[in-house]
Amino acid sequence: MKKLFLVPVLILDSSVCAIAADEVAKAPPAAPYQQVSKLVKLPDFLPGMGQLFVDPATLPAGPFLAYDHDGKLASTIYMLPTKDLNPDKSFDNLAAPGGNVDHVDVYYNAGHPGVEEPHVHVVLWHVAAAGEASVAK
Amino acid sequence: MTIARREVLGLGGGLVAVLSLSQRDVWAEEVVEIRMQGRADGSHVWFDPIGVLIKPGQMVRWTNFNPGNSHTTTAYHPANFGRPLRMPESAKSWDSDYLLPGESFSVTFTEQGVYDYYCVPHEQAGMVGRIIVGEPEAHGGWMEAVAASRGLPDEALKAFPTVEEIRANRTIR
Ligand SMILES: [Cu+2]
Repeated sequence: MKKLFLVPVLILDSSVCAIAADEVAKAPPAAPYQQVSKLVKLPDFLPGMGQLFVDPATLPAGPFLAYDHDGKLASTIYMLPTKDLNPDKSFDNLAAPGGNVDHVDVYYNAGHPGVEEPHVHVVLWHVAAAGEASVAK
Repeated sequence: MTIARREVLGLGGGLVAVLSLSQRDVWAEEVVEIRMQGRADGSHVWFDPIGVLIKPGQMVRWTNFNPGNSHTTTAYHPANFGRPLRMPESAKSWDSDYLLPGESFSVTFTEQGVYDYYCVPHEQAGMVGRIIVGEPEAHGGWMEAVAASRGLPDEALKAFPTVEEIRANRTIR
């Protein structure tokens, strides 16, 4: 249990050096970010992701900033509709305000309110793999 | 107490008749539960069961068992976002609106026929369901609505269990 806690703290320390990361390190992030569950009907805390914030102007790709129960930034998530992954479209220069990335997950999502079409989640984890437990439930 | 019991025992064949009658009543009154479910990572979402056969007057209750998503149960009916009619014309349409985890929505079905419905945010992911009420007549127009595929995503059309499957098994998962 102690180990699980220590690892994310170390990662956070290193990411705090970046100014942008500092502004979003704690929930709620400043405007234009808004709580996703206030924009669409979704649970406040999504198991596996956490509490999400997004700038509505950047939908559907995001970034979505995902926080754990203590309001600490756990990941930055991009949601890319599968129909847009084609020769005529691309996603360029997406913001990455969360700073240091420990590892990346990519997986298919069938859709949810907010991004209803089937899409891919690209998750930049700002915590070590063990730190994912903080948003598991 | 004892007398009553003896009387009951003495009824013989009559008792069997009463029992089977009341069992049928219980079945007709039983609420049919449909769970709205999804994998933890959101990669797959579905109704469970996806197909049910019920009796006229029976109630169906949908409950969202998916902790990380919201779902709806929405009839294919022009009253719902102008969607094509895939239910008996004379029956009332329904739309639960978004159900958060743990929330439920119920509908009592009185008209016989085939009812198709979907989940608003997950129709493209094939989250649809079919309810058959009673014993619809083969040529009463109830198959025509089901045959129409206009305006539905392929994933939804592929997902419906067939009328035959549902009638044969009553519950399709
Ligand atoms: Cu759904």
